[in-house]
Formats: sequence, C-alpha cells, structure tokens
Amino acid sequence: MKQVLKLRNLKVVFPTSYGLIRAVESVDLDIGDRECVALVGESGCGKTVTSQAVMRLLETPPAVIRVDSIEFDGQEIKDCSSKEMQEIRGKDMAMIFQDAMTSLNPVMTVGNQIDEMYMRHQGDSKKEAREKTVRALELIGLPEPRARANSFPHQLSGGMRQRVLLAMAFACMPKLIIADEPTTALDVTIQAQVLKTLRGMQQGCGTSLLLVTHDLSVVASIADTVYVMYSGKIVEKAPVKELFTAPYHPYTVGLMAAVPRLDDEKRKFTQIPGTVPHPARKPSGCYFHPRCEYAREICRKEMPPLQSLGGTRKVRCHYPLTAGGESHE
Amino acid sequence: MSEILALSNVSVHFPVKGGLPFFRRGVIQAVSDVSLTVNQGETFGIVGESGCGKTTLANAMIGMVKPTAGQVFFKGVDLNGLATDEFKKMRRQMQMIFQDPYSSLNPRFNVYQIVSEPMFIRGEDSEEEMKARVVELLQLVGLSADDLYRHPSDFSGGQRQRLGIARAISLNPSFLVCDEPVSALDVSIHAQILNLLVELQEQLNLTYVFISHNLADVKKMCDRMAVMYLGKIMESGGSDKIFKKPLHPYTQALLAAVLDTSFDERREQIVLQGDIPSPINPPAGCRFWQRCPQAMQGCKTVPPDLVEVEEDHFVACHLVNGFPDVPLPEGFEDPVPKQDSQV
Ligand SMILES: Nc1ncnc2c1ncn2[C@@H]1O[C@H](COP(=O)(O)OP(=O)(O)OP(=O)(O)O)[C@@H](O)[C@H]1O
Ligand SMILES: Nc1ncnc2c1ncn2[C@@H]1O[C@H](COP(=O)(O)OP(=O)(O)OP(=O)(O)O)[C@@H](O)[C@H]1O
Ligand SMILES: [Mg+2]
Ligand SMILES: [Mg+2]
Repeated sequence: MKQVLKLRNLKVVFPTSYGLIRAVESVDLDIGDRECVALVGESGCGKTVTSQAVMRLLETPPAVIRVDSIEFDGQEIKDCSSKEMQEIRGKDMAMIFQDAMTSLNPVMTVGNQIDEMYMRHQGDSKKEAREKTVRALELIGLPEPRARANSFPHQLSGGMRQRVLLAMAFACMPKLIIADEPTTALDVTIQAQVLKTLRGMQQGCGTSLLLVTHDLSVVASIADTVYVMYSGKIVEKAPVKELFTAPYHPYTVGLMAAVPRLDDEKRKFTQIPGTVPHPARKPSGCYFHPRCEYAREICRKEMPPLQSLGGTRKVRCHYPLTAGGESHE
Repeated sequence: MSEILALSNVSVHFPVKGGLPFFRRGVIQAVSDVSLTVNQGETFGIVGESGCGKTTLANAMIGMVKPTAGQVFFKGVDLNGLATDEFKKMRRQMQMIFQDPYSSLNPRFNVYQIVSEPMFIRGEDSEEEMKARVVELLQLVGLSADDLYRHPSDFSGGQRQRLGIARAISLNPSFLVCDEPVSALDVSIHAQILNLLVELQEQLNLTYVFISHNLADVKKMCDRMAVMYLGKIMESGGSDKIFKKPLHPYTQALLAAVLDTSFDERREQIVLQGDIPSPINPPAGCRFWQRCPQAMQGCKTVPPDLVEVEEDHFVACHLVNGFPDVPLPEGFEDPVPKQDSQV
C-alpha cells in the first residue's frame, strides 16, 4: 500500500516550572492511501500534540520537538519553511477541530468561506467556486444547500456547523485530513450523522484520515487501523477488527470495557482503576503498571518495547493477552 | 413506594429579549406541560438531545426557576407556595451536580472552601466541625485530606467532578439532581464517577434525577425515565419497559444512535435527518414530526397526548395511540413525503 504519512520517532517535550513534560515519546505513525487511522487514548496522553506536530502547528517554544522523519506523500516535510508548510496545509493536508464555532469566521457566510477555499487553491472563478460549494454542501446533507450557503455560522446548529467544516476540509481534495475529536461536542444523534458523512466523504474523495478521539465506540464505527496511546507512548497498533475482537494490551481491554453497552445487564460500570500518571511524574518501568492487574516484577522495572506480534499488529507489553483474556507466558 | 417529587403540568417559557425590530418577539418554550413523578430512593433518568430542556426542567424541580405554569411538589409541598426561609430549608434537601466540572467550581477557592460553602452559608457549624465534615466527604468521594488546600486547577476533570459531588452531598440531601455529570469527561472516567454515584446512593439513601444524552448510561443507572424532545415528554415510565419495548420513533432513533464496540452484530443504524428545530416556534402538532421517519400528515397539526399504554409506560405518539377524537385534516394518516420533513 502507498504511504501518505510516515512519521518516525517523534518526541515532544514541554519544559515547565514543575518539571519536564514528556508529552510524546518516540511515536511512529503510518497512514496508508485512503486509510482511516484512529489515535485513541485518555485525556492528556498526547493525541493532540502528536497530530499538531504532524501538521507542524505546534508553537516552539514552548514545545521542543525532535523527529527523525515526517514523510508526507513521499516528501520529507520536517525541515520545510513555515511558508511551504502553509502551502501544504491548505492544499494537501486539512484539519478539523473539535470546536466548529471557533474554526469558522463568524462574520462571513459559510458559502463564501468554502468558495474561498476553491478560489485560493484551485484557481476557480467565484461562479465556478459557488457551484462546487453548493455541491459540497449537498454532499454533507445540508438541506437547501443553495440557500443555506448564505447563512452565517451562528444561524446553523452545532451539527450543521461541524458538517460545514467537513465540507471545507474536503473542498480541495486533500491527501490527508486530521480530525481532532470531531464529534465529541455533539449529541448522539448528530454524532451518528457526522460520522456517517465523514466516512462517506472519505471513501468518496479517496482521502486518508487521521481521527483523534478518546471514544473507542467512535473508532469502531469508522477506523481501519487503530493506534492506542498511553502517557505519550503507543501501546498497541492493530487493524480495527482484530483490535476489538482480540485486544493484546490490558489498557486496550480496559478502554473497551469502559464503553457502556446497551446489551449489558450489569448495574455496575466497568472502570480502569487509578488514573493517568502526571505527565511530569511518570512511573518506572511500564507506564501502565500501577493500573494493570497483570503487572509483575519486570513491569515495574523495565519499559517493554513495542514488539510485533503476528501480521501488522504491535504491542508494548511484557505479557500481552491472548484472545481468551489470558496472559501469554 | 412513596413519591418524593411530583411535577404537574409544568411549563417554563423564557422571553426572547432584544432581537431585530422586524422580528416578532417570541417565547422560548423550554419546557412544555411536563408531568411526572419521582419515587423515594429511585434513580429517575431524563434523556434527550442538547437544548431539549433537560437542565431547565431540573432547575424547575429544585425551585431554581419558577415554572410559567404548573406546580412542583417536593414531599407533598408546593415549592412555589413556600415563603423564602421555608424554601431555603427545603432547598437544603435538594442539591445539584453540574454538567461542566471545569466551570462550575470557583477557581479562586481551595477545596476546603468549595466543599464547605453550603455549610458556611447555612451557618450552623463551627470551623472544626466543618473541617472534619469536609475530610469525611473527601474520603467518601475518593479524594483525601491532603487535597484540602489545593485549588480546582490542580485537579483533572474526573477529580473536579468528585469535588462537585462532595459539595452537593455536604448537607445530607435526600434528593440529588445530576445534570450530565459525565458528559464532559473521558470514557474511562465515566465509569468511575457513575460507580461512585451508585455507591453513594446505597450508602446515603439518596433519590437521583439523572440527566444524560447517552441511553447506555441511563439503562444502567435508572429505574424509571423520561425521553424529552423540544420541551415535551415523548415517552416515560419504567426503564426496563422502555428498553425492552421502545415505542416512540424518537426513543428508537436514540437507541440506534448509541455506538458500541461490538463487531459481531452490527445494528441497523437509523440516522435521523436534520437537527432539532428552534424552541421559539415549535411545530404545532407533534414536535418530532419533521425528523420522524414515520410521520403522517395528521402529525403536523394534531399534538399527541401522553397515554399510558401499559402499567408505568407512557408514550405520546399517534402511531401508537391512534389519532384522538378531534376534527382531523383530510388524509391525516398519509405518510409525509421525505422532502417535506427535513428541517
Ligand atoms: N503548551 C503546553 N505546555 C505544557 N504542557 C503541555 C502543553 N500542551 C500540551 N501539554 C501537555 O502535553 C500532554 C499531552 O497533551 P495533549 O493535548 O496532546 O493531550 P490529548 O491526548 O489531546 O488530551 P485530550 O483528550 O484532553 O485532548 C498533556 O500532559 C498536556 O498537559
Ligand atoms: N435563562 C434562559 N433564558 C433564555 N433561554 C433559555 C434560558 N435557559 C435555557 N434557555 C433555552 O431553553 C432551551 C432548553 O435549554 P436547556 O439548557 O434546558 O437544554 P438542555 O436539554 O439542558 O441542553 P444541553 O444538553 O445542551 O445541556 C434552549 O433552547 C435554551 O437556549
Ligand atoms: Mg486533545
Ligand atoms: Mg443542560
């Protein structure tokens, strides 16, 4: 498979008054052509920092970044100037943020905002651009797209605004879209709409997608490949179906169990004991060991390597689980 | 089973202020004609999408907003008939946990000040008594005495929500409204907070009103529930009954929208079209008709009544109950064509 993104050995630290925060530690990430890759993990594990580093959107300082390679569409971009990056970001990479209201211009109609994308990046005339805008709005399921193009952001509901952002992100047919918690602020029914639209557009336009989220149920409904992140490190990587049918890392198992299910008759909610370590005071050995029910001596002492385990799967654990939930010897 | 709270035909309307001169001034019908009862010791769920009036209804329950019409009875007493000091006393038995743990705690206060504030306002306890009580409360919610002088900014979202809970139970309330207590938190923290609520309920004999837009949470937490849409109850009653046999198309759509992580049995997704219409001029008939996949012509103009279809299971839908005995438009049972129904 052709690679759209190849990230190698990304490290991001934030020096602060209360210590060095190692937000991202040696992360590798591969995104294939037309692939939807999800990056999941609890709040503070480094998802946003990773995705912003890929887009070269992190402010330095405060961030200090070390990376071996960011290969985007066959081109090394880690040393590109900010002007070159701006060019790439507008055309080949797009980002969808969590909060649609702050990413849209409040004093410009949504139609004009999308028109501008076409005019700037594809050199269309205003008229050509508007035709494309109307088609894009139709594609995202906005009723009466021609009339709605003249609405201002505040005249649309949250779900509509989020879908307008999708239309904008897809406008230039970028090679890669990074969506950071695109549905977290939305209601369940609207979330279903937006995810369905996102998946449909991604497949229709042949775009690759990096989806950042803490919600595994969102991942299950849309991703092809999943990276699970814990405290700045990748702890598991697997094709989505394999991850959900046979998770290897105890943390992945915990995250999955924490999603409440309708077909569960128990009254108690399943929880992962303890909390995420403070980013400036991470434990020795495996970062997850204080919360892990399988932890043994070696887990307290040594950080396990990210080992390959059958096919394309990877896991960072001294004692990965087998399909039955038993620990490997 | 005794009743602790009863709402009788409660409506809450907010005037629309300002606006452009050529717009007719209107009212926001945040809650319309809601009647329900909550029994002692149970958890009563309120579900619905953003803006459907859940928080407003909760505020009306504890007397924080005055209903435009209707009455709220707490332990048999009409809240709005009470004199101010009697109301204050009553209010101590009813507390609320808020939706947003990030903005609901005063950032300049330390933990001790935050948790002891309700006791401080009541003014019956000495400093020592308050301190002992705060330490006890912190332990109850899984924090420790070491945290006494830290500030909210030092805590994670889940820990802040624990502080909010400690504060809410500080005066030994019997009735607690939990307004989306986990919506702003990570999935992995959800379970911790909800388990804490269940434990506290058993230990302290609390009655909960639990507000949520996630039906999977409601299914685990609640004994009885109401599904709201645009200020009105669409379906209500025992949650076992509603989950076993959801009758309202809106309840069915909400159920279908719950994502889970199973790969074996992909459920059929009913993706609702459109968004919630504005509560300023809600549709005349059934408030859900514009998004209802099964809407009939009559649904546009004839409002459905909330009818008891089996014991403790109420539903407001013409599909289930048939049209009432009123003058009906021609072809009222014809389906509404698709392009009409999207908002
Ligand atoms: N500007 C900054 N200064 C100091 N620390 C920072 C800064 N930005 C991020 N961090 C830290 O880096 C770590 C990773 O943060 P990041 O925003 O990537 O988390 P996340 O996984 O996206 O979490 P969430 O789900 O809450 O969005 C956190 O511990 C955070 O406190
Ligand atoms: N004080 C107020 N003045 C005017 N309108 C209000 C006021 N409070 C609420 N509303 C309106 O009443 C409607 C119901 O709001 P409410 O906050 O009760 O919804 P909710 O169901 O709690 O939503 P969410 O899930 O987003 O918290 C909304 O349209 C809201 O804009
Ligand atoms: Mg983030
Ligand atoms: Mg609310």
